[in-house]
Amino acid sequence: MNAFSLSARLLLRQGRSGALLILASGLIVATAALVAVGSFTDRVGRALERQAGEALAADLVIAGGERIPAAFFDHAESLGLATAEVISVSTALFVGEDSQLVDVKAVSKSYPLRGQLRLADEAAAEDSARSHGPERGSAWMDPRAQRALDAEVGDRAELGVLELPLTAILTYEPDRAGGGFGFAPRLMIHLDDLLASELLGPGSRARYRLLLAGEERALASFRQWFADQRLDGQRLITVGDAEDQTGLALTQARRFLGIAALTSVILAAVAILLSALRFANAQRDLVALLKTFGAGAGRIMTALSLLLFYLVGLSILIGGVLGWVAQGLIGQILAEGPETALPAARAWPVLSSGLFTLLLAAAFALPPLLSLRRVPTMRILNRSLDTRPGLAGALWLIPVIGALTIPVVQLGDTRLAVIVLGGSAALAGCLALAGWLAMLGTGALARRARASWRFGLAGLQRRRAGGIVQVTALGLGLMALLLLVIVRAELLEQWRGSLPADTPDHFIINIQPDQVESARSALLEQGADNLQLRPMATINLAAVNEQPPPDHRMAGQVNVSWIDHLPPANEIVAGSFFRSDARGETSLAQMWADNLGVQLGDELTFESGAQRFSARVTSIREVDWNSFNVNFFILLTPEAADFLPHQFIASFYLPDPKAADLRAVSRSLPNLSIIDVGAIIERVGEIIDQVSRAAQVVFAFTLLAGLVVLLAALESTRDERRHESALIRTLGADNAMVRRGLLIEYGVMAMIAALLATLASALTGWLLAAELFGFAYRPSPMLFVLGFSAAAVLVVGSGWIGNRSVLATPPVRILRTGN
Amino acid sequence: MTTSNGSILVCRRVDFSVQAPGGHLDILNDISLDLNKGETLAIVGASGSGKTTLLGLLAGLEQPTAGEVWLAGENMKTLDENARARLRRRNVGFVFQSFHLLPSLTAVENVMLALEIAGLDRVRERALEALEQVGLSHRLDHYPRQMSGGEQQRVAIARAFSSDPVILFADEPTGNLDRQTGQAIADLLFGINRDRGTALVLVTHDLQLAGRCGRIEEIEDGRLVRSTTPDPGNRLQLIEGGQRQ
Repeated sequence: MNAFSLSARLLLRQGRSGALLILASGLIVATAALVAVGSFTDRVGRALERQAGEALAADLVIAGGERIPAAFFDHAESLGLATAEVISVSTALFVGEDSQLVDVKAVSKSYPLRGQLRLADEAAAEDSARSHGPERGSAWMDPRAQRALDAEVGDRAELGVLELPLTAILTYEPDRAGGGFGFAPRLMIHLDDLLASELLGPGSRARYRLLLAGEERALASFRQWFADQRLDGQRLITVGDAEDQTGLALTQARRFLGIAALTSVILAAVAILLSALRFANAQRDLVALLKTFGAGAGRIMTALSLLLFYLVGLSILIGGVLGWVAQGLIGQILAEGPETALPAARAWPVLSSGLFTLLLAAAFALPPLLSLRRVPTMRILNRSLDTRPGLAGALWLIPVIGALTIPVVQLGDTRLAVIVLGGSAALAGCLALAGWLAMLGTGALARRARASWRFGLAGLQRRRAGGIVQVTALGLGLMALLLLVIVRAELLEQWRGSLPADTPDHFIINIQPDQVESARSALLEQGADNLQLRPMATINLAAVNEQPPPDHRMAGQVNVSWIDHLPPANEIVAGSFFRSDARGETSLAQMWADNLGVQLGDELTFESGAQRFSARVTSIREVDWNSFNVNFFILLTPEAADFLPHQFIASFYLPDPKAADLRAVSRSLPNLSIIDVGAIIERVGEIIDQVSRAAQVVFAFTLLAGLVVLLAALESTRDERRHESALIRTLGADNAMVRRGLLIEYGVMAMIAALLATLASALTGWLLAAELFGFAYRPSPMLFVLGFSAAAVLVVGSGWIGNRSVLATPPVRILRTGN
Repeated sequence: MTTSNGSILVCRRVDFSVQAPGGHLDILNDISLDLNKGETLAIVGASGSGKTTLLGLLAGLEQPTAGEVWLAGENMKTLDENARARLRRRNVGFVFQSFHLLPSLTAVENVMLALEIAGLDRVRERALEALEQVGLSHRLDHYPRQMSGGEQQRVAIARAFSSDPVILFADEPTGNLDRQTGQAIADLLFGINRDRGTALVLVTHDLQLAGRCGRIEEIEDGRLVRSTTPDPGNRLQLIEGGQRQ
């Protein structure tokens, strides 16, 4: 019999054996997790490639905080460059009864200079390419704005004093950072409409861009000219800069998913190793027999390697299909539906993941199989002459290292991977240690238990090492899911709940000094509560104690305010707050002072236009930034109002947003920018929700891999369990008693895994809440209910599946087994 | 049946066959035997003659394909597997060639487990008494792996008689032990039979051990072919010789 027919027969005969099924399951889970993440990553990569060169909608961009002077356009055109102008501003958009903070992008007729826009007539309809922006008197909204405002094509939108019909849905714009994953919904209008809307008053915080495209030489010449002509606040953006920006959000999502895949692969590798060991162990008699009959070790090894190869092929096929479905799901979740869909998935990532699965099999399954080479023929006569089964030598470390290194390299950030792997290893170590302690506890309990309990707990003790691996693997998977599903939602909810009832939920910026009173009365009329109106000026820090300020991101341009009393949510930690008649003093937020190394008594010099003035630091404040009040790093004494150009910023709480008509405020004071913080928090929540739902798909594989480890461990101890079950039946235990014993063993294991997973996720939640949000997280009973019931269902369920043969073992077996 | 004629075990025209690829394979054929309270019986025969299968049928571990087995007055044909297990709890003790102790339990816990399965009270006291009787008071908290073969078999014997069964089945109880230890184990078994009146069914290859029983049934190709009663003088001599060891 040659190696091919031997391997085929082995596969056919042993195909239904538990060990081979579990070995295949481990390979399938690993393939599926890799295909899911690999395919998604590939699609994202191609989306970025598609945008390459178009990411600016131009070849070069000049960006600034003020409108780009006409001279810039004239010079560019004299060099033969094509130009376009874009102005963006965040503002409230009203459609019918709904309002929404949107990012308005106003474009000149020639926009875009590179790439094309894509438009659809209605939601979910086929889109088509357009080479220029909207005409005057019409507006295009993106699918997110359409959903947020519950608007349809044909509805009319109110923007400042303007009323524009919504004429199309904008499905793609080349220079949108992050593709469909940006922050605020988009509205695109004609430049002239924005200029007429009165939204661009002084200090409106609009962003201005000059887009340029043309010959390389002309562009280089323009760059040189710009170096001399650059105005304050202007900067040059190249295609490379834009791509970096665009890729950032997606790269982070990709890394997060990569980490999830990595944990699944590691757990799957454990399952593969356990089941391969079990399978190899079961083949020792067969190998000894084949050797006795004269089969060469080489042929047997070839046959076993071929067997593994068939199994890997089959697993790649099944895992590939599962992973393909999962990547589609991740893509849909992250892109919020098909309208901003990524490029279609392709076969290559499936193939590369398949190759990786092959490597995984070579690393973790092949060594136990090949160690069968050393089974002595004498085993057939006397089992005690057998060598100890084990893994082949250090040579096998090569594929093992390869299998663990590749996903790390794929993650693209070795430092992050090392941190994650180290963190996971530390976490797994803690879980294993806690598992070991819990097992010791049950050991002590077993001494006081009776019958079924004694039998069940003794089983747990007997398989303690395996039990710890199972509890750790399952605990990790469960913890990841609990963190994503329960703790995340609870953290956000409790954080919102931790804010006082009248915490400001709206901000208004850009209030001019002469509009303060009318804005105040308009807001009070709409029921605004806890209204604070504060002056604000933007100035430069020029010197500290007459020395240049340190090179720090908080130095340079800063927003300052002035006040004659200590504002709420501020607490003096050093010095004393200035008196209402003080002059030339300043109070600093502790964070700012610490970062710049400024102390009480230091003199700070500021510049504003041609003005230069100094103030002495007389107090340091601890600021509660979570209070949502308007707070400033730097507070000056009130005389600053006399010489600093400024505007006002308002914060307030709207107890009944439905009854209030902020549109009226917006209409009467069109230059005001109203920011609905609640809507922003909601949007942040949505983004977190989106990414966590995508990660849940991948972490489901982690949990699945944990389950396969559990089944593999069950499978490797099946003979032992059957023997024990037969023994106690012989001693008079009935089925119910055996079942109870097994239920106790698995129930206790589930409880330990659940206890570890729930406590670890509650602790993580508590740490996050304390460190990031500054409140005490209280895990809800739901966390424990879900954690414990999920563990019970998973462990007891798989214990049940893995132990069917144990329950069916007749007691007479005990007379027929030698040991 | 026990009440009428004192039989603790009755076996009537028992057949046992299994389905094999070539058709029916008859393992036991027309087996009948009786065992009274306190009696000792050895079943001897060559490998594959069916003696272990017969032990399994007599103890209710398996059901015969034809015929009836009565154990402690119960017709096992009428009992399902769980009911037979419950019958064994109180009436049957087992000693095996490979000891079959649970490796994760100490000596005393192994004995206690059997008592707990039997639903008895004062399990620890009873287990301690039983281990003391087999001379293992100093090894109570040792695990099987920490004990010699002879010690493990003594724990198994303590486990077997601790629940005070009416019948004790022993399958090659000295098969894995050296001659001297085997002799000591046999002495223990016959001592229990003598002191407690527990009936003893022994399956063995060892004719000398079989010779210490009140009756020897020889099995060949699944049939009982010869029933002999060893010379009581010889038996006594063997027992006393054993006791002197």
